[in-house]
Amino acid sequence: MSTPAKNATLSSLAEVDRLIHEPARLAVIALLYVVESADFIFLMNQTGLTWGNLSAHMSKLEEAGYIEVVKSFKGKRPNTMLRLTQAGRAAFQAYRQQMKRVLDGLSE
Amino acid sequence: MSTQLDLKQIERRAFRSTYQDGLWDMYFGLTVISMAMFMFRPVGGYSPVNMILALSGFGLSYMIFWLGKKFITLPRMGQVQFGAQRKKRRRTLIIVLSVVVLIQVVLVSLQLLAWANPEVGARFSSLIPDRNVMDLIVASIGALIVSPSMILVAYFKDFPRGYFIAVMIALAVFLMLYLNRPVYPDYYRSADRPAWPGAVPALPTEVPSAPGGGTS
Repeated sequence: MSTPAKNATLSSLAEVDRLIHEPARLAVIALLYVVESADFIFLMNQTGLTWGNLSAHMSKLEEAGYIEVVKSFKGKRPNTMLRLTQAGRAAFQAYRQQMKRVLDGLSE
Repeated sequence: MSTQLDLKQIERRAFRSTYQDGLWDMYFGLTVISMAMFMFRPVGGYSPVNMILALSGFGLSYMIFWLGKKFITLPRMGQVQFGAQRKKRRRTLIIVLSVVVLIQVVLVSLQLLAWANPEVGARFSSLIPDRNVMDLIVASIGALIVSPSMILVAYFKDFPRGYFIAVMIALAVFLMLYLNRPVYPDYYRSADRPAWPGAVPALPTEVPSAPGGGTS
């Protein structure tokens, strides 16, 4: 690979959305991408994250506007569902495209 | 391409995790047990009591499924709503199952009609004079009535064990009807027909030693 091409690959690697790139958050976002919404316990079971860890990651994703928290009541019990926002979906799609480009550009 | 496959896998794993609690298996198992224990008894045949017991068994199976889901597994496994594709699949399942149930209702109605009117029953029977073939057809229709529903549920719910359950249910119904076949030929010759149209008296005196053994 020529030097300018290599530099282009490395520079696009630096542009990768770091909020999504973190493995735990990537797992959460990938899961929320394929479902409509899920609650905290389901996400914990699927990703293997602890409550505190997941809570911290969710706060960051919520601050970025990637996920939204939908609070409701089922009977008398509070029910909190989490779903990916349109911005979150777009960011994940962009991340996938970018990672694919970056990884395809890397030679053996 | 591989990314797409991985996402599909994530979705499928998440979907399948919702019934890894085994409640579906328990539900279908208890339903089959209810059918086997209550629906038909070789001595008493079909009767309102048998039907009520069988329906109670079905109700109890569903209640165990529902209570188990609500109070045991959902609070531990969490809740999830799947995307548009799964919802579409679910809608298709409902439509296809409705058609299948409609066909089943027609077949059962024809059976009840034949039981209630011996002339009509005799006309049905005369279509296939060979009794062995007739018994085999009746047992096959019975098996075909129950198995498609389960196969459809297995397919649309992405529930691989469902295919095995479907085969087991079909086999159970087939054997139930085929091994108790003395019920059918002698009913039409019986002078003391039961008051309730669905209550078919069985032959208490003779039970065939082998599936091929006839009564006449």
